[in-house]
Amino acid sequence: MLQAETLQLLCLTASSGVPLFSRGSTKQLPFSVVGSLNGVHMFGAGHGAQLSSCETDRGSRVVWEVFQESLMLIAVSGGGGSGISELQLRRLLENVWNCMVLVLGQDELANIRNVERLKRELRSCYRLFDLLLERVNDEQGFMGDLTRCADCLLPSTSALLQDALDSFAQAAESEFGCLLVRGRVAQATEKWWSRLTSQEVVVLSILMHSLSNASSCDYPVFLPQGSPTVAIRLLGFQLLPGVHVCVLCGPKPSLYKAENELVSRFWSTLVENLRSCLEQADRSTVPPSVSLRWDVQALLLINRESRRAVTVCPRVRGGAPAEATPLLSSRRRLELLRLFYTFAVTRYFTSQETSVSSASEDFPQGFTHVPVQCYLVTEECKCYGLQSPQHQLFLLMDLSVPTFALRTVATQTLSAITSATAF
Amino acid sequence: MSIPPGSIIVSDWYHCADSREFFSKILHKKKRRKFGLLEAPMMPPHMNVDIVRYKVLISGKSGVGKSALAARLAGLELPKMHYETTGIETTVVFWPVRLKDSGRVLFFRFELWDCGESAMRRFDHMLPSCKEQVDGILFLFSFTDRGSFDDLSNQISRITESSDRVVKLVVGTKFDLFMHTDVTESDIAHFQEVWGLPVFRVGGDVSAGLGEVAPLLNALAENLWHQDCMAASTVSISPQAALRETGSEITV
Repeated sequence: MLQAETLQLLCLTASSGVPLFSRGSTKQLPFSVVGSLNGVHMFGAGHGAQLSSCETDRGSRVVWEVFQESLMLIAVSGGGGSGISELQLRRLLENVWNCMVLVLGQDELANIRNVERLKRELRSCYRLFDLLLERVNDEQGFMGDLTRCADCLLPSTSALLQDALDSFAQAAESEFGCLLVRGRVAQATEKWWSRLTSQEVVVLSILMHSLSNASSCDYPVFLPQGSPTVAIRLLGFQLLPGVHVCVLCGPKPSLYKAENELVSRFWSTLVENLRSCLEQADRSTVPPSVSLRWDVQALLLINRESRRAVTVCPRVRGGAPAEATPLLSSRRRLELLRLFYTFAVTRYFTSQETSVSSASEDFPQGFTHVPVQCYLVTEECKCYGLQSPQHQLFLLMDLSVPTFALRTVATQTLSAITSATAF
Repeated sequence: MSIPPGSIIVSDWYHCADSREFFSKILHKKKRRKFGLLEAPMMPPHMNVDIVRYKVLISGKSGVGKSALAARLAGLELPKMHYETTGIETTVVFWPVRLKDSGRVLFFRFELWDCGESAMRRFDHMLPSCKEQVDGILFLFSFTDRGSFDDLSNQISRITESSDRVVKLVVGTKFDLFMHTDVTESDIAHFQEVWGLPVFRVGGDVSAGLGEVAPLLNALAENLWHQDCMAASTVSISPQAALRETGSEITV
């Protein structure tokens, strides 16, 4: 249906099947195919069956989802062994919907009064849609769109930054503030983690990332869960190129005031700290005090309580013996990490939110216990996953690591990071 | 209303050898340097170069190229595709200028405010926020869109009041697409006659470097400076001009 490595996103009105937009691969699907995709879903609905996904024999995948009984989103991925999982497509649709709500508000989307007008208004979300589509095969290690966790950076000087952020947010009459370094959350106020849903945190990070060229911004946003019908203001400031701070606030203060009175008052003394954050971000998402074994190829660590995540994908391996095999490309390692995460959360570390139709293994059924560790040995690497009530760790290691040692390496890695950073 | 180019500042200064050390502060590896809000061009303290800050609003119909103009003036990469701006975005541009009479050098810090048209329509607080403390407005039209040119007079009267003390300049975008032009030279000449506002033309590649943005940035600097000087001379102590002097910074 589509060429390999391609991905397309379609949106239609749920009741009448009028196409609203299509984003993604340069070559659009012909109208007849779009019509059929809608038709087959409608046929199912007419017979009391809900069509949610399908896979062709050549590896293409289609995922449908209807939101608010108003809009239907369809994601189509090309075959040819591209590693886009059903979970990833499902999350893509969810994020796309959340971005639409973020920009336009739920009322506009749930009660369509004028299709042509909605079509026009949806154009204002294209920048975010395109960013989400890029993220599916991202090479920079962003995974929040898949994990539903904020992609984080763990800075060395976090206490100073936290104080500055808290007082800055307070001065801007806000309880929600967040400091981003190279698109990753380096620090956020307590309420940012406790009162926003993880999906909201993810789309807000994406919105801020899309605005990274602006010196400052004042964007009306609707929070998909917290405030879907009343807009609040997102004020964002580029402190240094690559360092942004943002707050969610009400009618006051004005952008002009916040920028001219608050930004330098709270941040000018921290320029050097922010610069060292940038330097760190260019090397790694974890501070230098965390030492990882050389045979760790990549890892994803999730804090399950605060829904934060760090991805580490070392560029070079320090201290490796001469006979060690070279690292896989970071693009491939991140792809493998995403696949292993999907594999683990859909089969073993299942929860309500990750149950998708492809979780077909019979083994967990009938057991009341929850698996806490799993591993997988492939031709390219060895993978180990472990979960505790607080954390989930997904680790990619060299083939040279003996399989019996995987568990030890994983536990050591987890404690190396958590003890050094209090993550 | 506006003053002839080159009457207050040295107009082609970026060509001159003595400007090099100033322009080098806004360049990095032959491209324009990006500045965060906490940064400014750093000159040696003994040179005593003041930074003067101005807020400039970019106004125009949806799709005329407001965001692209801001990116162009700041030397940022032009967006490959047109995306609607769904709120207010600002862009900081530093530009060194030598005053003709005194020979004094100033760094102008323009903050360009850009707000998407539909956001402005949907949310009431956008326009007042854009107009708060504004010093200058760039009115945009596109050479490929006749409607945007015809709308100019509407826009000017909608956004400004005659009592406002703001510099107004008009910019025609997408001038490179002259094959598809909808706006003729005589249209522009007529408009200039009626409104007394200068019209600038931009478009095409940004590879031309500083020369491409210099005329507009210089005109903006010249008119804003002139406006402040006039205000300072008519009122014995102009609070705004005084504030601006103290608000100026050397380095951050």
